[in-house]
Amino acid sequence: MTWLVPLPVILPLAGAGLALTMSRHPRAQRVISVVVLTLVLVAAVSLLGLADRGPLVVDVGGWAAPVGISLVSDRLAALMLSVSAAVTLCVLLYSLAQGLADGDEEAPVAIYHPTYLVLVAGVANTFLSGDLFNLYVGFEMLLLASFVLITLGGTAARIRSGSIYVVVAIASSLVFVVAIALTYSATGTLNLAHLAQRLPEIDPGIALVLQLLLLIAFSVKAAVFPMSAWLPDSYPTAPAPVTAVFAGLLTKVGIYAILRTQTLLFAEGRADELLMTAALITMLVGILGAVVQNDVKRLLSFTLVSHVGYMIFGISLSSQAGLAAAIFYVIHHITVQTSLFLVVGLIERRGGTTSLIRLGGLARVAPLLAILFFVPAMSLAGIPPFSGFLGKLGLLQAGVADGSLLAIVLVIGGVAVSLLTLYVIIKAWNQAFVQDAPDDLPDTTLPRGMVGPTAALVALGLTLTFLAGPLYAYADRAASDLLAQSPYVDSVFSRGDRGVGESPEAAEGTPP
Amino acid sequence: MLCSKSTLLVLLLAHAAAALGAPTLVSWLGRRAFLVLALVPGSAAAWALGQTAAVTSGEGPTMTLSWIPALGIDLAFRLDTLSWLMVLLVGGVGALVLVYCSAYFSPASGNLGRFAAFFVGFAGAMLGLVTSDNLVQLYVFWELTTVFSYLLIGHYTTRKSSRRAATKAILVTTAGGLVMLIGIVLIGDLSGTYSITDIVAAPPTGPVAVTAVVLLLVGAASKSALVPLHFWLPAAMAAPTPVSAYLHAAAMVKAGIYLVARLAPGYAGLEAWQLMILVLGGFSLVMGGYQALRQHDLKLLLAYGTVSQLGLLAILLGAGSRATALAGLALLGAHAMFKASLFLVVGLVDAATGTRDLRNLSAIWRRLPVTAVMAALAMASMIGLPPFAGFVAKEAALESLLHGGASPAWLDIALLVAFVAGSVLTVAYGLRLWWGAFATKATIPEIEPVRVIRPPLLLLAPAALLAVGGLAVAVLPGLGDQVLSPYANTYPAGEPGHLTLWPGLTPALVISLGMLAAGVGLFAIRDRVERWQATHQGPLDADNVYRRTLRGLDLFAADLTSLFQRGSLPFYLGIVLLMVVILPGGAMALGTSLPDRISLRGGVPQLLVGALVVVATILTVRSRRRLKAVILTGITGYGTAMLFFLYGAPDLALDQVLVETITLVVFVLVLRRLPAYFSNRPLAADRWVRLGIGIAVAVTVAGFAMVVPQARLEPPVSAALPQEAVAFGGGSNVVNVILVDVRAWDTMGEISVLVAAATGIASLTFLRSRTRDSRRPRDHVPGELPVLGLGDPDPMAPLRRPGTSSGSRSQEWLRGGRTLAPQRRSVVFEVTTRMLYHTMLVFAIWLLFSGHNAPGGGFAAGLITGLALAVRYLAGGRYELAEAAPLHPGLLLGSGLFLATGSGLIPILLGGEVLQTAIFDLTVPLIGEVHLITSTFFDIGVYLVVVGLMLDVLRSLGAEIDRQGEATGHDSDLVGPALEPAPPLRDRL
Repeated sequence: MTWLVPLPVILPLAGAGLALTMSRHPRAQRVISVVVLTLVLVAAVSLLGLADRGPLVVDVGGWAAPVGISLVSDRLAALMLSVSAAVTLCVLLYSLAQGLADGDEEAPVAIYHPTYLVLVAGVANTFLSGDLFNLYVGFEMLLLASFVLITLGGTAARIRSGSIYVVVAIASSLVFVVAIALTYSATGTLNLAHLAQRLPEIDPGIALVLQLLLLIAFSVKAAVFPMSAWLPDSYPTAPAPVTAVFAGLLTKVGIYAILRTQTLLFAEGRADELLMTAALITMLVGILGAVVQNDVKRLLSFTLVSHVGYMIFGISLSSQAGLAAAIFYVIHHITVQTSLFLVVGLIERRGGTTSLIRLGGLARVAPLLAILFFVPAMSLAGIPPFSGFLGKLGLLQAGVADGSLLAIVLVIGGVAVSLLTLYVIIKAWNQAFVQDAPDDLPDTTLPRGMVGPTAALVALGLTLTFLAGPLYAYADRAASDLLAQSPYVDSVFSRGDRGVGESPEAAEGTPP
Repeated sequence: MLCSKSTLLVLLLAHAAAALGAPTLVSWLGRRAFLVLALVPGSAAAWALGQTAAVTSGEGPTMTLSWIPALGIDLAFRLDTLSWLMVLLVGGVGALVLVYCSAYFSPASGNLGRFAAFFVGFAGAMLGLVTSDNLVQLYVFWELTTVFSYLLIGHYTTRKSSRRAATKAILVTTAGGLVMLIGIVLIGDLSGTYSITDIVAAPPTGPVAVTAVVLLLVGAASKSALVPLHFWLPAAMAAPTPVSAYLHAAAMVKAGIYLVARLAPGYAGLEAWQLMILVLGGFSLVMGGYQALRQHDLKLLLAYGTVSQLGLLAILLGAGSRATALAGLALLGAHAMFKASLFLVVGLVDAATGTRDLRNLSAIWRRLPVTAVMAALAMASMIGLPPFAGFVAKEAALESLLHGGASPAWLDIALLVAFVAGSVLTVAYGLRLWWGAFATKATIPEIEPVRVIRPPLLLLAPAALLAVGGLAVAVLPGLGDQVLSPYANTYPAGEPGHLTLWPGLTPALVISLGMLAAGVGLFAIRDRVERWQATHQGPLDADNVYRRTLRGLDLFAADLTSLFQRGSLPFYLGIVLLMVVILPGGAMALGTSLPDRISLRGGVPQLLVGALVVVATILTVRSRRRLKAVILTGITGYGTAMLFFLYGAPDLALDQVLVETITLVVFVLVLRRLPAYFSNRPLAADRWVRLGIGIAVAVTVAGFAMVVPQARLEPPVSAALPQEAVAFGGGSNVVNVILVDVRAWDTMGEISVLVAAATGIASLTFLRSRTRDSRRPRDHVPGELPVLGLGDPDPMAPLRRPGTSSGSRSQEWLRGGRTLAPQRRSVVFEVTTRMLYHTMLVFAIWLLFSGHNAPGGGFAAGLITGLALAVRYLAGGRYELAEAAPLHPGLLLGSGLFLATGSGLIPILLGGEVLQTAIFDLTVPLIGEVHLITSTFFDIGVYLVVVGLMLDVLRSLGAEIDRQGEATGHDSDLVGPALEPAPPLRDRL
C-alpha cells in the first residue's frame, strides 16, 4: 500500500494543473478541487490506519535512499496529514460557498483553486518528506501559494500586510537554505534518516550550530518569540478562509519541522532549555498581545502565537509524555483555530465588521453562530472537557513529570496563559455576542454552504474530545516512535545502508 | 429497575439530553416545560434515595469506564455517603428550583429555552462532580459548572452588571480551578493515580504533596467563595433568583466544600491544611457575617450570609475529627435547605413587591403571611433555633469543638472562637433578614396593597417544602446520625460524634443560648451597628484588587505589545537576522574553532569574480536609483554563475545566467511603474544599525562556511550517483538526471512553485480576470489610445494607412511593430528579432531533448523560449507578444504541471514507484534507434511550466502594464523616467 504515500502531494498538484487549464470554467475548477481534496482525505486517513503498523516508505522514482528522496509516512506524518486534509477540505467548501454567495463567478480570480491546491500539496509534502532539501521545497510550495492567497484581491491593506509576510518568510527560507548547504557540507547527506545516523557522529559544536540555524528557520514559520511579530500583522487582512487555513496549518508546519528535526536529527536535546524559555515568552507575550486587541481577527492571531508556545513547551521537554502532548495539542489547535477563523468570517458577514467595538448582540440574532463560536473558543481557552483542556493537561503532566525548575515555571506559565486566554475569549464573547451593538447590525442571513463546513469543523473538534482515548494513545505511540528513532530510520534503510528503491541493482554490473 | 451501576450514567446522559432538548421543549410548552425538566434532577435525587440502604452499608454503586488511559483519566463514578448526600441536595433542590422557575418567569419573558438548557446542564455537571471518583474527571465537571454558572449569571445579557458579574465569576473560579489543576497534576504525579479513593486511602506525603494540597484548597476556596476569593459571589446575585438559590444552596459553591470534605480524611492531619482551613474558613465565617449585617439588598444580605456559612462548613468538614465532620455533613444538608428556601422567599417578595431593598419594605408579613412563616422557619434553622436542622448541626459542632478532636489544641480553640463569633453574627443577620423583608417598620411607608401580588402555589410550594424539611429532618436526628456517620467515620481522628435533638443541659447548650442572646442583642442595636460599619470601611477590598488587577493587566499588555509589535518590516527582519548572529553564531564562537588553514583552491579567477560580486553588492546597497540597484544585483548573479562555471558546473551556470537575464528584464518592466529613486532614506542612526546587522550576519555566515565543513567524516551520498544515473536513470548528464529523475520530486514541487508565482503575478496585475485582453495586432485600432512611449494620441495615425498592411505579412518584419509609435520602433531590433526568434526556439527544443546527456534540460530550454518571447515583446510591443504566443499562459502552466505530475502518477498505476523512469529502446522507421526515456515527459512538463511562467510575466508585467498605462494616459515607456521628470506615480502605488 505504499503507493498511497505520494498521493496527498501529487494529486493536488495534478489537480492544480488541470484546474489551471480550466480557468474559463469555474464550475469544473470547483469540481476538480473538491474531488481532489476528498481523495486526499481518503488517502490520508488510509495512511493513518496503515502507519499504525509501521512507517510506510517510498523511494521516489525507485532511487534507493539515501541517494534519492524518501517519502515517509509514519504515525506523526499520517496524523498531521489526516487533520490537515480534513481541515483544508472544510475550508475549501466554505470558500466555495462564500464565492457563490458573493456572486463572484469570475472573481476572486480563476487562480484561487490551483493556488489553494498547491498550498495543500506543499503542506502535505512537508509532512511526508524524508529529505531536508525536499522539506525546503515543501515550504517553498506552501509559502509561494500563501503569498498569492494573502494578497488575493490586491487591496492596499493586503499588499502591505502581504509584503511583511513575504519578506519575513523569504528571510527564513534563506536561513533554511544556508542551513541545508551547511548540513550537507558537514555530513554529505540530506536524507533525514541518514542525517539521524551521521549528525550524532560529527563535532558536537558544529552540530549545535546546524541545530540552531534550523531552529531559527522553523521558528520564524512557527511564529516563536521573538520571531512572531510578523504574524498578527499579516494574517488578519487576508480573506477569512485564507486566514483560517493559514492560522490552522502554516504555523503547524513550522512546529512539525521543529518536532521532526529536534527528535530525529538532534535527539540529545541540547536546545531544550532554549526552547523552554522561548515557549514561555511566546505564550505570555502572545496572549498579552491578544488582551489589547479590538479586532477579533487580530485577537485570534495573537492567541495563535501564544498557543504556539504550548506546542514548543511540549517539544522542549523531550519526553514521551511531552511529545505526545505536543502532538495532541497540534491536532487540537489546527482544528480549533481554523474553525474559529471560519466563524470569524461568518461574524464578519453577519455583523458587517470584525471590530469588537462595533459588533454586538450576535447571540440573539444568530444563536447558531454563537454556539459555533462558543464551543471552539472554550476549547481554545482550555475549558474541559474540550480537546484544548486535554492537550493542556497532557502538557502539565509532562511538565510536572520533568520536574526541573524551568519546566515547573512553564507549568505555571501555561496555566496563567490558559486563564488569560479565557479572559480574552470572554471579553470578545461579551462584546460581540452578548452586549448590544452600538449600531444596528446589517439585516442579512448566513449562507448555509458556509455554515455547514464551519459546523463540520466544529464537530470535528468535538470528536477530538470524544475520541480522545484512541487519539491520545495514537499520539503517544507517535511520540514513542519519535524518541526511539529506529522505526523511522530502519524503515528508510530497510536494506542495511540503502532504501527500498531498485537503483542499486540496476547499477550493479555497470562500470562506474 | 435498571442496574444501579449504569443508572448514574443514564442520569447524566438524561441531563445532557434534557439540556439539549430544553429549548425545543420550552418552545412547545412555554414555561410549563420547567415542570417536565424538573423530573430530570428529581429522578437523580430519587435514585439516590433508593440507594440509601446500599450506601449506608458501604455498598453504594461504583462504575469505571476507560476514557484516556494515556493521561490516566478514567470515567469513574461512585456513590458513597458524601456523594449520596450531595446527589440528594443537587437533585432535590434542583428539581424544586425548576418547579419554582415554572411560575417565577413571566410567560412572556425571553430566552427561557436557553435558560432552561443551561440550568439543567448545570445540575447535570454538579451531579457528575459529586459522583466522580477521579480527580481529573472531577475537574472536568468542576469547570463545566463554572461555565454553566457563567452563562446563568449572565442571563440578563443586556444588563451591564449582569455581564460583569458573570465575567467576574468565571475568571475568579477558573483561576482557582487552574491552580487546583496544578495541584491535581502534582498529586497524580506523586501517587501515580487520579482515583480519589486510592489517593485518600494512601495520601502521598512530602513537601510536593503539601504544595499540591494547598493548591487544591485554593481551588476549593475560589469555588466556595471563601475570603479573600469571595467577592464574585455577592456580585453573582445579578442572576435570576432561582439561579442564586441553586448556586448558593446546592450547586457551585458547595463544590468547594465537597472537595474539602472529600480530601479531609486523607489530609486533615497536615499542618498546612489546618492552617489554610482556619484562615480561609474563619475569615469567611466572620467577615461574611459582618458584611451581611450592613447590606440593604436582601439578596446581597443572603449572599454574604452564604460566604459566612461556607466558612463554617469548611471549618467543620476540614477540621479533621469525626465528630466535627458529622456536624459538618448535617449542616451541609441543613444549609442547602434553609438557604434555598430563603432565596426563593426573597425572590417571591421581589416578584410580589418589585423591590428587594429592605429600606423600602414594610409590613409585608401582612400581605404575604404564609411566605413570612416559611421564611421564619428557614431563618430559624439558619440561626440555630431548636428544633430545626440547623440547631442539631450546630449543637453537634459545638460539642465536638469543645471536646476537641485529635487536632492540636490551638486549632480547636481558634476554631471555637471563630465559630462563636460567626454564630452570633448569623443570629443577628438572620433576624435582620426576616425583619427587613417582612416586619413593619415605623419609618417606612407601607407599599400599596394593590401592588403586592399574591404568590401562586407553584412559587410558594418549593420554598415551603424546603423550610418544613428543615424541621422534619431535625425531629429524626437518629436517622441522620445513621446515614451520615459512615462518611464521618472515615476521618482519621477523634471520637465519633452524634446528632441529637435535645442534648440536655450541656455546656454546649449554654454557649448556644449565649450566642443566641448575643445575636439578638446585636440585632437590637442594629442602627448603631450600621452607623459604626458605615464609618469603618474594611482595609482591604478584594473586589477593588480584582478591578485594579484587570486594569493593570490591560495597561501592561498594551505597553508590552507596543514594544514588539512595531508593524515595521525592517524591525522584524532585523530580529530574525540578529537571532542568526546570536544563537548559531554564538554557538560557533563558543563551541567550534576555525580550520588550521583555508585553501584558496579556486585561485585567481575565483578571487577576481568574488571581488566583483563584493563590489557590486556594496554598490547595490549604496545606490539610490532603482535601475542601478537592479543592474548591480544582476552583476552579483552573473558573478555567481561564473563561480558555478569555475567549479565545473556548466548546467548550473547556464541556468543561473538565464535566470539572471530574465530577472533583469522583469525588474526593468516593473520599474517602469515605480519612481526612479528609492523613496525615504532611513535616519542616519538606523542606517548604522542596519549596516552593523548586515556586517554581523555576513561575518557569521562566512564563519559557518569556514567552520562547518571540517565536520565531514564520511563521503557524500553523491558518490554513488554517476553510476546509478547512467544505469538506472538512463542519462549521462548527472545534473539533468538529478533534476528530472533522482530528485524529480523536488523539481515537481519547484515547478508548482513557479505555477503559484505566475498565478500570483497575474492575480495582482489582472485584479479581476486574467483571461481578458490578449489582443493581437489585427485588433489594434490606430489612434484609439495614446501611443506607447508618448503621452498623447498618435497624431500620425491616419498617415500610417492602417488598412493596407493587413494581410501582407511579407511587407513587415514584425506585425506588432505598426502598433508602436514610430519614434519607438527600431528596424534593426525588429530585423534581429525576426531572424533570432526561430533560431532561439529551435535551440530551446534541442536543449530540451539533449538535456539528459548534455548540458540543458527543460528548465534551460523554457528559459530560452521565454527570452525569445521577451525579445519579441520588447521589439514589437504587447500586440506582438500576443502574435507570438496567442496561447493563454494558464494553459501552458496547467498542462505543464499536469504532464509532470501525470508522468509521476502513471508509474504508480503500472505498479512502480511514483515518478519512476522507464527506458525504451525503439526502432522507428526512417529515424532508426531511439533511446526513449520516460523522464523526458517530465522534462517537457517542466519546459511548459517555465514557458508559461515567462509568458505570464511578460503578459502581466509587460503587456498589461502597457495597457493600464495607455488606459490611464500615463507614460509607460521603458525609458520614460529618464526622458522626462517622473510623474507622481508613487501615490498610486
